[in-house]
Amino acid sequence: MNAIDEDGLARAIGDTVRSASAKAQLITADAVVEQLRQRGFGKCPGTSPEAGLCLSVAAMLSALPDIAPLASVSGSIVYHDTTVLSRTYARILDRKSASAMLLAEEVRSNSRNYPRPVPRELFEKPPFDLAPETITAVLKALASGQEFRDIASVTTSAGAVYLFSDLYLERGYAAFLAEQDASFAMNP
Amino acid sequence: MHTIRNASANWIAQAAKTSGLEAELTRRGFLKLSVCALSGLAMLGLGEAFGENTPLVILDNAKGIILADPTRCVGCQRCELACTEFNDGRAQPSLARIKIARAVNFGLTGPIGGGAMHGDWGDGLLVQGVCRQCPHPVPCATACPQNAITSDPETGARVVDPALCVGCRLCQQACPWGMLSFDEEAGVATKCFLCHGTPKCVEACPAAALRYVPWRDITRDGSPDRAPLSVIAPEKAKACLDCHLPTGTKTTR
Amino acid sequence: MAVRSGGFVGKVLRVDLSTGKIGTEDTIERYAAMLGGAGIGYRVLWDEVPAGTGPFDPANKLVFAAGVLVGTSVPCNGRTTVTTIFPTCWPKPLVGSGHMGGHFAATLKYAGYDALIVEGKADRPVWLMIRDARVEIRDAGHLWGTGIRRTTLELSQEMGPDCVVAAIGQAGENQAPMGMVVNSVSHSAGGVGGVMGAKNLKAVAVTGSGAVRIAGDKGEWERLIKFHLSILGGNNQHVVPSFPTPEAEYYNPASRWVGQPGKRWGAAKPPVEITGNIHDLNRIAYRTNSAAYFLGEEAWKYTVRGNGCTACPIRCHTMLRVPSVTAKYGIPDTAQNTCVALQFGRLFFERLAGRKGGEAAIEACMVGMHLADDLGLWSNYGQLQRDLRKLYEGGYLKSRLGSQEYASIPWDKYEKADPAFLLDLIPRIANRQGELGEVLSRGTGAIFDHWSIPEAQWAEDRTTTYWKMGHPKHHANEDDGQCGVIINTQYNRDAQCHSHTNFVRNGLPLEIQKNLAAAIWGSPDALDAPGDYTPANVHKARRAKWSLTRKELHDALGVCNWMGPWAASPLRARGYAGDDSLESKFLSLATGQAMDREALDRIGERIFTLHRALTIRDMGHVDMRAKHDLVPPWIFEDPNGAAPFTKGTIRMDPADIARAMEFFYAVMGWDKDTGAPGKARYAALGLADVGEKLAAAKLTPEERK
Repeated sequence: MNAIDEDGLARAIGDTVRSASAKAQLITADAVVEQLRQRGFGKCPGTSPEAGLCLSVAAMLSALPDIAPLASVSGSIVYHDTTVLSRTYARILDRKSASAMLLAEEVRSNSRNYPRPVPRELFEKPPFDLAPETITAVLKALASGQEFRDIASVTTSAGAVYLFSDLYLERGYAAFLAEQDASFAMNP
Repeated sequence: MHTIRNASANWIAQAAKTSGLEAELTRRGFLKLSVCALSGLAMLGLGEAFGENTPLVILDNAKGIILADPTRCVGCQRCELACTEFNDGRAQPSLARIKIARAVNFGLTGPIGGGAMHGDWGDGLLVQGVCRQCPHPVPCATACPQNAITSDPETGARVVDPALCVGCRLCQQACPWGMLSFDEEAGVATKCFLCHGTPKCVEACPAAALRYVPWRDITRDGSPDRAPLSVIAPEKAKACLDCHLPTGTKTTR
Repeated sequence: MAVRSGGFVGKVLRVDLSTGKIGTEDTIERYAAMLGGAGIGYRVLWDEVPAGTGPFDPANKLVFAAGVLVGTSVPCNGRTTVTTIFPTCWPKPLVGSGHMGGHFAATLKYAGYDALIVEGKADRPVWLMIRDARVEIRDAGHLWGTGIRRTTLELSQEMGPDCVVAAIGQAGENQAPMGMVVNSVSHSAGGVGGVMGAKNLKAVAVTGSGAVRIAGDKGEWERLIKFHLSILGGNNQHVVPSFPTPEAEYYNPASRWVGQPGKRWGAAKPPVEITGNIHDLNRIAYRTNSAAYFLGEEAWKYTVRGNGCTACPIRCHTMLRVPSVTAKYGIPDTAQNTCVALQFGRLFFERLAGRKGGEAAIEACMVGMHLADDLGLWSNYGQLQRDLRKLYEGGYLKSRLGSQEYASIPWDKYEKADPAFLLDLIPRIANRQGELGEVLSRGTGAIFDHWSIPEAQWAEDRTTTYWKMGHPKHHANEDDGQCGVIINTQYNRDAQCHSHTNFVRNGLPLEIQKNLAAAIWGSPDALDAPGDYTPANVHKARRAKWSLTRKELHDALGVCNWMGPWAASPLRARGYAGDDSLESKFLSLATGQAMDREALDRIGERIFTLHRALTIRDMGHVDMRAKHDLVPPWIFEDPNGAAPFTKGTIRMDPADIARAMEFFYAVMGWDKDTGAPGKARYAALGLADVGEKLAAAKLTPEERK
């Protein structure tokens, strides 16, 4: 392909990913290729069209600055436009079908990045939208499972439950932060 | 004063349509046009036929209008301030061409108390004052003895030409919604001119309470806020009769 | 400055209620060096109100000052600072300011005044009428004894529907130190209402048709305004939302940016759903819902809309409509406020004080707001409520109040957290009825004086959050370690400073905050992780200095210190940096006189240092370190016995605090032993005359030695 085609292709790839992201959807490279083919790309003389397009798309996806890859829970790599769909939210979207991982990884990243515990009720609200019973079941499963034994909870003096990862937060500190978080509305 | 004595009914009908007039005009309906008011009518090639100082009667409709939603207004006055700061270089709500300050506290009824009061001290509703960019007859333009209020070519907004305005304030009296401001420093009236199609108030509103939309006649939505003073110069009033025949007069078609 | 310069409107109005004399001064001639707001207030007190003047003496003055940027569309302006000898300051009233938002400050500027100085005392109740150049003292006999709501209505009938009324209610009329002045429904300046009442001044009503000029290029001004809007967060400049969103990488459940798409203003007719991009500049007003934040999610269904100060897009005063309260308590069904004032009612009840939520709490808040903002009774940042609870729960009232009076108070309603309790209590305090009403109307110091209760019983009890001199902490070590402690030592009332806490609670990850801190204050060590404090250092002291000087600057410019400074922003593209030079950029464009960040900060420091000088003069001591910059013992304790500088405690260490104060005095250029500025320091800040006077009175460190 010549340079003009490349620019056009890069733009089309970016647009495809961006419009998926705008609809809160994560998209695989294959799906991008499919959409581009439907739009008439991939008719390159002298090469096997399929192989050529796939290669170009893969290369360009990693080169486009706003497009980020994500290792999906499904096992494949999915892409999103970070200017429209943040990495944090993309991960939440990706894990929507896997409640245990959804909750556990969110707790871990809060404990690691801010660092802070999160109120249990966070997961009842959008975009998590887990029923209280589901959360209870998940926490039980995490405690007895292997992968997420680090997910723990503390209860504030007012009875609010906070979740944290003991990989990143010590219990005592998590308890303090939970108490503090719960106190903010009383500390205008 | 020039008149069209030999204009065809066809021409008159077309001119009427372009101006948004709904009623059909009669053969005896003469249109007197001021050169500066010609916009949509310019293509009719009439401009050269008339001299200056012809009384203005008809303005084309505006293309856009600012729509205000009182249920979203949060009373911040950023629209008023954007209007004067960004256009005039000074923050002056009394000059603003969108009107909030007079309704913030008690709504448009004022401090009457009771259960029906709006504003911050009432039920919180804030009815914004926005220029309706009135269709014909445009009260402020009609009242102006200097024909200083004309229709902006870009947007159709009714605009005060400060070069022509002599500061008589009749337009202020004529507006049924009290939307004309007066610039005391310059000694001229001023009003909403839609900021050349990108109204600054709409841009400034933090509650998305203002929108700039295609024009619609909203002058009959709800009642006016005040009794307008009907002041029309005699030569203009005479011109009105060209289209609006007095009752009892027979029409010939 | 030239006549056509901007920002300032040029005149300070001076009204002598004793003689009836009304005159004006040239703002720039007399006060340019002090900029405005608290700066003018402190200067007037220094020049004209001698040490020893009591708050209710006719010789005390009330300075209502707007600020240079007030009246423009600079986001988050509209603030009035009211400076006077502050009555609740204990044991001896000293200089202090109340602050109020609403529409008063902007309208004062449109009327043509940068400030209003009220002197003397009228011989009968009066109100001050200001309509542009026309200023009159009018009779208020017909209003004396009425609440702020009716006063506003009747004065507006007299002056016009667009006038702004700043009025006192019965509390101020009764010269209660806990009286406040209120404008625009819910915007109040605490502590100064009684001073107005002592002057027989019922209200100031102002309307203005003038302009605040922008001297600089209006296109440049528009661009700067839009830039400022683009770096705004939610309330308190929390720059991340409280919910995960595709539009942001970070969120914080404790953020005040609660306007999640899908929520709605439930009491609007019809309800207004929140939609769209959370960073959309046309949707800034939907980010904040103070009622939902402080009272719980139930508040959304009662939310009519946001409200607030002139030109501010944040709208932190939430307007609530709760229909049930009219039948139950005989109060209007609509009320609005934010933060502590929103919770005025709920905080009285031990059962409701510690937690959010619940319809009972909401009803209590409605009753509290109505009564407090109509009678004009101040909470002293919630200290009134904490005092009542401690006095009752601690058995003090049972043992000290006469049995008849004790029995006359509906304690059963208190025990049940019945909001009807407030219908008795709040008027009791505002009208200074009985012993309880009288004592509580005077502020916390009166508890110690009247009942001979040692101050230590409050100062050692962390649940009172008592700090010193009759006032509580206001964002101290629980938020911000030594920086918060330093800030809380510096005033004669609660600190009212939010520069520091806006930053540390903005919701960004610690790593990003440290990067921003390094850029502004020179080192990532200027702040610690919450509850993981490290020993005092000079960077924290510099941040404390920045916090204090910016607060004074905001009180001089008339911008909101609950939103500024704009150290951080929601913008990933900027690395979440805000703009630390915003104030100086706006000032330069408004006035037409270029001034950079450092130059403007020096003016802030000048203003803050004059406050220091006034305090020293009126205390009659130069040893601020020992006598004024006090901390309560409870900051050196931990309920679980945790040691200072361990993870999970806010406990401070006395030796470390001493070092922190020394770092602070050093960055301020003040004497290490006394914490007082020397003559040279005053002179360097343009306060040479102040330094001379203090030196002559042996109130500078070198003279003392």
